[in-house]
Amino acid sequence: MTEESTIASVAPSTPSARAGVERLRRFAAVLGALAILVAAGPFVLDTYLVNTLIRAFHYALVALTVDILWGYAGILTFGQAAFFGIGAYAAALVFTHIGFSPATIALAIALALAAPAFVGLLLGWLSFYPGSTPLYASVVSLAFPIVVTQIIFSGGTFTGSSSGLVGYQVVDFPIEAWFWVAGGGLIVFGALAYVFVKSEMARVLVAIRDNEERCSYLGINTPRVKILLTAALAGIAGLAGFSYANFSAVVAPELTGFVFGTELVIYVALGGRGTLIGPLVGTIGIDVLSSYLSGDLPYVWKLIVGLIFIAVIVALPNGIAPLVEAAWRRLVHTRRATGSERPVGLSSKPVAAVSTATLEIVGVSKSFGSLKVLEGINLTIVDGELVSLVGPNGAGKTTLMRCVSDGRERSSGLVRVNGQDIEIMPPFRIASLGLGRKFQTAGIFESLTVAECLRIACALHDQPSFLRSLEQLALPAAARLVIDATGLAELLSREARFLSHGQKQALELAMVLALEPQIILLDEPTAGLTKAERARIGRVLIDLVAQHRLAVVLVEHDLDFVREISSRVVVLHQGKIVLDGTVADVVGSQIVRNIYLGAGHA
Amino acid sequence: MMTVTLDIVTTAVLLFVVATGLLVIFGVLKIINFAHGAFLTVGAYGALVTTAFGLNPWLSFPLAFAAGAVVGLLVERLVVRPLYGRPLDAILATWGLGIVISQFITLGFGREIQFAQSPLSGTISILGETYSAYRLITLAIAVAVGLGFAALIEGSRLGLSARAVIMNEDLARGLGIDTYRVRRMTFVVGCGLAALAGALITPLSSVDPNMGVPWLINAFMLVMVAGSSFLSLALAALILGGAQVVVSSYFSPILGGMTIVLLSAVVLRLRPAGFGRD
Repeated sequence: MTEESTIASVAPSTPSARAGVERLRRFAAVLGALAILVAAGPFVLDTYLVNTLIRAFHYALVALTVDILWGYAGILTFGQAAFFGIGAYAAALVFTHIGFSPATIALAIALALAAPAFVGLLLGWLSFYPGSTPLYASVVSLAFPIVVTQIIFSGGTFTGSSSGLVGYQVVDFPIEAWFWVAGGGLIVFGALAYVFVKSEMARVLVAIRDNEERCSYLGINTPRVKILLTAALAGIAGLAGFSYANFSAVVAPELTGFVFGTELVIYVALGGRGTLIGPLVGTIGIDVLSSYLSGDLPYVWKLIVGLIFIAVIVALPNGIAPLVEAAWRRLVHTRRATGSERPVGLSSKPVAAVSTATLEIVGVSKSFGSLKVLEGINLTIVDGELVSLVGPNGAGKTTLMRCVSDGRERSSGLVRVNGQDIEIMPPFRIASLGLGRKFQTAGIFESLTVAECLRIACALHDQPSFLRSLEQLALPAAARLVIDATGLAELLSREARFLSHGQKQALELAMVLALEPQIILLDEPTAGLTKAERARIGRVLIDLVAQHRLAVVLVEHDLDFVREISSRVVVLHQGKIVLDGTVADVVGSQIVRNIYLGAGHA
Repeated sequence: MMTVTLDIVTTAVLLFVVATGLLVIFGVLKIINFAHGAFLTVGAYGALVTTAFGLNPWLSFPLAFAAGAVVGLLVERLVVRPLYGRPLDAILATWGLGIVISQFITLGFGREIQFAQSPLSGTISILGETYSAYRLITLAIAVAVGLGFAALIEGSRLGLSARAVIMNEDLARGLGIDTYRVRRMTFVVGCGLAALAGALITPLSSVDPNMGVPWLINAFMLVMVAGSSFLSLALAALILGGAQVVVSSYFSPILGGMTIVLLSAVVLRLRPAGFGRD
């Protein structure tokens, strides 16, 4: 830690620490109140309601896992029911076929956790790979419970087929104790989920939801994050299933089914995805109401739920919770004080030893069928160079950027980043070799704050925490340079979608630099910027090359801008390099004039 | 052997007819109509009502189409139109719609399983094997639906507009095509086709308010694999439907029930374009 960072972290920490203690106290108060409610429940509620609530608590816990996947990570899943069912069947199968003893209880718990988690890994591997679509993941999550149900159907007497398993010995608590176990479990998991969704890691999930491509170019292995999340939440749903199989003393194939999976999604959608309280209240409320009303109003109740569900999806995609929250705030006139709006301390990372950078492009070609977009490109760029790539539209500039930053793009040829052959590496691995890429349209994370966007960009070198929320942002000097020069340093708590076009471009540039790359590719970083903004970015780029010894490759249409900042200019035309020289070479070149004036090529 | 072959062909044909309406809507509207199974059920009850009134069972096909189209017209305005551009939300809202439709059916007709009269009974003998005459007739009807639809797409103004919307919706709108109308008509036709398919499968199976769900899942998977091409849909229905028949006949009908789902997921994982072109 540098001196500056120590000062920065100590000086403003007193009010922030006080706020932290205050938050902790409120958190503990809410948990305490909920614990008292759960403790008192069995004494004040009638047996029927207690029974119903125990079931609803189990469902609510699974609904929370659906919410984390869908509301935070953007993965619409119908599969959590199947993990719940696998956990329940693990218990029922062990107790039915092996017997009931402390050892088999331990075995059942281990299986109820491990089997869903393992299946979750497989399902995640199937669903998430570089280039997979959200729709495909949803399709797989829909197919999965159907497959599980069919397997149970085909299991004969082993799984009990369509009638399920019943009459196995169970962990036999009195009804009050079940209420405490299920309610207590829900509170514990809810508290853990609360800590998690406020943590830096949950910001990574939101970032992946907002812009997965940007994440992978920031060095984040997004498929891996999603696969591990799926497996972890599968294990938790499985544990809930274990508990449910003991409470209900019967398991049926419907527990694993697709219809139950959609019901969980309905609870979460109605309550409010992306909040924790919404799915909790939604699940418990609908399940309890259903158990009362479906007796009095057969079919009509389900019809009403269906109608409300449609109305919510169409008109209130974020569910009812945000609506209630807004009404509450209007009532008590409090300002929003969510974690994201707490001030974030800013500090600088120690400057790493200046390293050399090389980008070697040897004989790179790219063709779509018979159409050759790039042909035999040879180019070597080293640190301290600011190379502008110019050429008319369709010359292959952006394609070249793509071939360098994604190993699966080029048709032939060799690319070495800092001496390392990129082979067919996906973007996140090339990013970890020290190459950062800025897109033409600013790739930022709309629903995160500026500070959070920058924190995600540091994830490669600085593992985001599962427990702590973002309070201190340590940025590399180059990124610091950009946010100081463009005024973003004052806007750290602003959500990125509220930034101006120029600020978004600057933020993305800072994010790319926060990755601590030695080579950066910039695709029209000044497109749509004002003259003043453009000049500011130009000065920053010159600084980066001169002081931080970066190698910069710039795609640019504005030739005045190119002339001011470049140390070298490469002209591309129809997929080939036609000129590689200094600014003066290009300015005086007849070839370049012909290309741009459309007089055919000389 | 002959029976299995005929089973494969007729199963593929039924799957094709059932999935056609879903594919049409997916192709043009870019949303997946998860109420498709409910529209299928609407058509099945349409057939039930037709025969209950003593009308000619053949009439159930046009009547079912009309019933599906009318319901489709109604819900397009209320539910589907606000969801263009929100494909995942559209899945959910149309699933909710499916719940609502099947609850209405339950309220009207009860929850029990019922049977509609078949327009054609008995068997036909082909190459020494006797085979259900109705299943063979479905073949002819499917071909008629396929050809009629191809004629609509290739020959009519709506078909031309629909193809334009499939290729480039913004450009189509820029050229003065009323894309809202194209979507509405497509949705209506897709729902009508779903109901027609429901009427078509009714004589082969029983009728109940939730009968559409298994068909929905298989049709959905086929459409995912087929992309937005009718030829790939036919191919997918033949290959995956054939696999289903083979697994059901030689291994276990229960495993057969998940063949299409499982194979489709694997096909998409290995080749995201499925049976379509890249």
